[in-house]
Amino acid sequence: MSEHNHEHHVATAKQLWLIGGGLFVLTILTVVVSNLGLPSPFDIISALVIAFGKAYLVAAFFMGLYWDTKFNSLLLIGALVFFILMVTVTLLDTMYRQDVVPSF
Amino acid sequence: MANHSASHPAHVQHHFVDSDQQFESAKMGMWVFLVNEILFFGGLFCAYIVFRAWYPELFTQAALELNKLWGGVNTIVLIGSSLTVAMAIRSAQKNQIKGLRINLLITIALACVFMVIKYFEYEHKLHLGIAPGSFWNPTPEILEELSHPKANIFFGIYYMMTGVHGLHVLVGIGLMIWLYIRAGKGHFSSEYYTPVEITGLYWHLVDLIWIFLFPLLYLIE
Repeated sequence: MSEHNHEHHVATAKQLWLIGGGLFVLTILTVVVSNLGLPSPFDIISALVIAFGKAYLVAAFFMGLYWDTKFNSLLLIGALVFFILMVTVTLLDTMYRQDVVPSF
Repeated sequence: MANHSASHPAHVQHHFVDSDQQFESAKMGMWVFLVNEILFFGGLFCAYIVFRAWYPELFTQAALELNKLWGGVNTIVLIGSSLTVAMAIRSAQKNQIKGLRINLLITIALACVFMVIKYFEYEHKLHLGIAPGSFWNPTPEILEELSHPKANIFFGIYYMMTGVHGLHVLVGIGLMIWLYIRAGKGHFSSEYYTPVEITGLYWHLVDLIWIFLFPLLYLIE
């Protein structure tokens, strides 16, 4: 925020290809790991760890949050916080019912 | 640009101080919209989590009906399209309008490949009677593999999540065509490429959602 007309960050083609390559490798990895037949809950945990790793690469570098104003990152984190809140409150209901609603 | 002073180029609307402020405002507005999108898909993920917690064995059984190979190919296709959108933005930033248009065209093509694969996946399932909710009417062979009484619920979630995601891909294709036409009319330059930037953000979010849908739906062992 120094002068007006500051330059937008331009990622190099090499950087973008590296991120794309990383996402490709992680996609292969998640398929390989799913074929190992890890016992629950490690299958879900490993799948989610890889998915969040990929999500970080996309958000930070393709969407440019790494170079962007922190406020936009805050918006993304805020969305995740409210998502977790929604899931938590819902599970507090659904996991402690005497009987599941029959038609569900 | 002869009619406009350097401090106030043609693309800057009068209520913004300068081009940069306009760009940053548009980008922030897009992020606020993406928050809304995340929470919109969040409701569907929430349904997924509740039903997986209730019926873990259903998800293991039903996921066998989903084709890992085509799900994986579609993941690669979407990642490729995210890369080409990032390259399109880079082209615009460097004032390479030809590169911008080529990258947009490749993105549109990849998005179409995604939808065609999705169509054949749906077509195959619906042919076997694997339909959501009350439309659940599987063939006897499928019923043998998939005897779980709540199997229709899994596919309700599957069709809803991938269907709404597919709708987003279709909207994205429309936006890319619009950008392609505008780029052809010379509307974009390194000075002004805001629509390319924020459509890119939208497209990356569609990719992000799929990054979670793929392991959560297809890769359950």
